[in-house]
Amino acid sequence: MSLLAPNEQDQLRAWFGEMAGPVRLLFFTQTIGCEPCAQTRRILDELPPLSDKITIDEVNFVLEKEKAAQYGVDRVPAIALLASGTNGTADKDSRIRFLGSPSGHEFMSLIQAILLVGGAASHLSDDNRKRIAAVDKPVTIQVFSTPT
Amino acid sequence: MAFANEHITAYAVEATEFPDLARRYRVTGVPKTVVNDAVEILGALPQDMFVSQALAGVLPAAGQPEEQPKG
Repeated sequence: MSLLAPNEQDQLRAWFGEMAGPVRLLFFTQTIGCEPCAQTRRILDELPPLSDKITIDEVNFVLEKEKAAQYGVDRVPAIALLASGTNGTADKDSRIRFLGSPSGHEFMSLIQAILLVGGAASHLSDDNRKRIAAVDKPVTIQVFSTPT
Repeated sequence: MAFANEHITAYAVEATEFPDLARRYRVTGVPKTVVNDAVEILGALPQDMFVSQALAGVLPAAGQPEEQPKG
């Protein structure tokens, strides 16, 4: 039983169909002591059936601490979005992360992030893109939200 | 913004699942944005204002004097 209504699946399928490149979601999770992890897995499992350009790779947060650190993940559930490499090229990290289960508003944010990494046009104006491109120091942006 | 500059990393954080983070960053409402643990933006802003405020500390020319980091 899908979490998504048929018309929602159709909409997502249409959006994902516009993607130029494949997107890999690294899903950091643990089995014990993380209720939202299971919920996140159920949500993420909805996506690959809607597009052959989306893959989910599960990473065990307990066993693969180095990989978690590499992607700046210190808690679960967490998702890191990568532009998948094609023809043998390496994946490219988008440096976009989701901490917590992507339900409610966060689900649409995740979908938009997938589309962006998959090659959809950015919502940034040209002017803002230039200003952002000028940043030459490390910047960490955290956006807090709630499901409702 | 992370996608537009390799120096930038962006986290979307579900505040209710991580109360420790919500407390540490004094999340009293959403959306709340925290940049480099220094700049805080509460609420949604038009894109120009958001970029200006978010990058005020790292891109002096883009900032506005009355929007310096709080506390």
